[in-house]
Amino acid sequence: MMIRSFFSMLIAASILLTVTGCWDRRELNELAISVGMGIDKLDGEYLVTVQVVQPGEVAAKKGGNVGSTSVTMFQAKGLTIFEAIRKMTAVSSRKIYAAHLRVVVLGEELAREGIGDALDLLYRDYELRTDFYLLVAKESTAAKVLDIMTPLETIPANKLFGSIQTSEKVWAPVTGVTLDTFISDIDSKGKNPVLSGIRVTGDEEKGTTKGNLEKIQPAAQLENSGLAVFRKDKLIGWLNTLESKGYNYIINNVKSTVGHIACPDGGRVAVEVIRSEAVMKSSVKNGLPKLSVNLHAEENIGEVQCQLDITKVEVIQELEQQASKTLVKIIKDTIRAAQNKYKTDFLGFGNVVHRSSPGAWKDLQSDWDEVFADTDVDVSATVNINRTGTVNNSFMKEAEE
Amino acid sequence: MDDNNTPLSTFLHENIENITTHTGESDDLIVRELRIGEGGVQTDIAIIYFDGLTEDNSVNQFIMEPLMNRRGARSDYSESDLLDRLKNSYLTVGQIYEVDSLEAAVSSLMNGSVVVIPDGYAQGFYLSMAGWEQRAVSEPANQTVIRGPKEAFTENIKVNSALVRRIIKDPNLVLKNRKIGNVTQTNVSIMYIVGLADETALKEVIRRLGMISTDAILESGYIEEYIQDEPYTIFPTVQNTERPDVVAASLLEGRIAILIDGTPHVLLVPALFVQFFQSAEDYYQRADISTLLRVLRYFGLFIATLVPSLYIAITTFQQEMLPTQLLVSLAAQREGVPFPAFVEALVMEATYEILREAGVRMPRAVGQAVSIVGTLVIGQAAVEAGVISASMIIVVSITAISGYVIPEFDMSIAVRITRFLFMGLAAVFGMFGVFIGIVLLMLHLSSLRSFGVPYMAPVGPFSFRDQKDVILRVPQPSMTTRPSMFGKINPLRQRRTKRKGRS
Repeated sequence: MMIRSFFSMLIAASILLTVTGCWDRRELNELAISVGMGIDKLDGEYLVTVQVVQPGEVAAKKGGNVGSTSVTMFQAKGLTIFEAIRKMTAVSSRKIYAAHLRVVVLGEELAREGIGDALDLLYRDYELRTDFYLLVAKESTAAKVLDIMTPLETIPANKLFGSIQTSEKVWAPVTGVTLDTFISDIDSKGKNPVLSGIRVTGDEEKGTTKGNLEKIQPAAQLENSGLAVFRKDKLIGWLNTLESKGYNYIINNVKSTVGHIACPDGGRVAVEVIRSEAVMKSSVKNGLPKLSVNLHAEENIGEVQCQLDITKVEVIQELEQQASKTLVKIIKDTIRAAQNKYKTDFLGFGNVVHRSSPGAWKDLQSDWDEVFADTDVDVSATVNINRTGTVNNSFMKEAEE
Repeated sequence: MDDNNTPLSTFLHENIENITTHTGESDDLIVRELRIGEGGVQTDIAIIYFDGLTEDNSVNQFIMEPLMNRRGARSDYSESDLLDRLKNSYLTVGQIYEVDSLEAAVSSLMNGSVVVIPDGYAQGFYLSMAGWEQRAVSEPANQTVIRGPKEAFTENIKVNSALVRRIIKDPNLVLKNRKIGNVTQTNVSIMYIVGLADETALKEVIRRLGMISTDAILESGYIEEYIQDEPYTIFPTVQNTERPDVVAASLLEGRIAILIDGTPHVLLVPALFVQFFQSAEDYYQRADISTLLRVLRYFGLFIATLVPSLYIAITTFQQEMLPTQLLVSLAAQREGVPFPAFVEALVMEATYEILREAGVRMPRAVGQAVSIVGTLVIGQAAVEAGVISASMIIVVSITAISGYVIPEFDMSIAVRITRFLFMGLAAVFGMFGVFIGIVLLMLHLSSLRSFGVPYMAPVGPFSFRDQKDVILRVPQPSMTTRPSMFGKINPLRQRRTKRKGRS
């Protein structure tokens, strides 16, 4: 009896394991690994573009269809994005696999209309991670941006992803915004979101062919270009490079960047910011907020194009003064853009007020953008210049003496 | 054996006849009759032994010669006198025992003794002169070390016990003999150190050995299967070694050794999980490198058990766990591979196991041909033909090699079996299955015992003091206490050694 029940259990278990199959098993060669996705609006419908890796070409050392591109593109239109993506199986032999998405590009037109609805699927679907960057195609459509062949990186989406990361790290006018931060900014009453912009420079038509890579200077390139300012989910304008840099100074997102200071007697000194820390503060008096930004930066001298004697302490102190003035100006310009041009608090001062005076925030939050536009922001900056590189004075100056 | 004792007869020819019939009139039984004494009383004496089990030279030199050349004293001795003289002045042999029953005589013959029976007495002697062709003590074939003693046990139990005794010169080292196997009558010895070995474990060993009732014990594996705690496990709960130094070290830890005649493998109990990752050389090398090697071995265990299953699980279920670049290059290799990853892995693992088994069994002469074909099949042809992806080859080969980082072969066998179980789980349930498997494996390991000691000690029931020899191998001066798992009778191994400082 024991033996019989044991064997029937064994048979039941083996049937359970073998007959039911593995419902969500997918082999690697059944996946269309999508690394970039573009969303545009066309005639009231969504036009979804997906950049899919052709693995055999990316890792090609031998074999593979010689001459085919490393990625391919599928497009489909639909009233909803979900439908459009599934519709792609009409042209693709494999189901789109989106877990490895690196960037999602939104067309400028769609961005001006509002992207909230378009992002719902990306946020809701279990397959997607929320760690991809959201980009806005400046003066272009997402489909065009995803259609450009890029040098260095065989996968264009990787180039978009990589150039945002490195540029954010060493140049600063770029902010990589992932889906989750974007959505939490939309939901927050004290900060409006921004997204990085991407632009096609050069000859768009030639950029779509492999010929783009056959010249030393590619015909078309993809360029990070300033930040797109949103009010809720609608694009309302663009920041230029300096304003974008100012944005990153204020939200404390500058890891390293390079700026310049004018010398008193002509010429310039380039300085590398190696550390920067901004503190945003607020206090509320009589229902009116008082805002301030205090920046502390540490810099190194990177390039000297004038006759300054930088071995002297006074000269360095003078440069520090100049540098802090420059920083204050950059920051003030950005704040001016927020207050006057866009009348939108994309810098997050609202959240600062919320944190420091939660009571007053209750009254302020309903029309915060208007209150913010009329509030003075006190900006101050201190700069330490630490090192001057491997030489002291410019060799031109040395030669003179 | 049945205990009915047939007493010897007083007539020599009767005794000889009985012995020959009792041994099935085997042709290798040698009976030499001779006459001693001169002139007066002469006595017939029979010398009986098996050809090949006894040293011919010794028989000639120490039995025949003294008996036949002693013609001196005119013999008028009484009955008991002859026996007394034989024992005390004629037979110049160390081990001499009286025998008065037919069965005892026959069984001593089987062990290579020489039986001497004089006519007219219902009594004789057997003289232990066992000596046959045997392998010399040589280097260990399997458990090799770079630094450390290079001698291994042989098939002779006497040589083996002597090898251990030569290392531990302590009167407390005790050896107890017994015979197991109704037909083979194999000599089995238990060795332990009084005052270190745990009494209860020792009693348990003796009890379990006593319960064995079988025809034949041909190798230590027979005993191991009879005495292990849990027959339904793939993990070894009895350790075996061919190194005398390992046996000595184990005895000093308070463990018990079981020596079996006819095999160079000595069993050690209790055997715990962590001990299968300790190599003799760990204690001969410097502590730092030994510790690093231990870490490497546990890493090898991880690779050998889990890597194929993780590969299957990740590439067929959890692709999002891979970095994008890696995913793309893995996908590139899989382009055009016709099988699912699981089948691919199974085919390659099976191929490897076939090659390995063939490598062990095949005649040495064809070895090279087979291994060349094997490497070609695994290495290149399969990938170039597009049947198997290159990454799978990497997975299978690193797995195969990692298994052998584990010093004890028994454990790497267990690891090989678990690998296949995990691959099955991964193919059906993905990472979820792998983790369920790990949980089940942990539960199973924790439930095992070896002669009453929890198998996972000192990790399972955690003991801080015993961590000095698990992943770490602390320097010898710090090994102040014996492992507490094997009894706590005499825990102190050494007093803290004072370091010679720069005074």
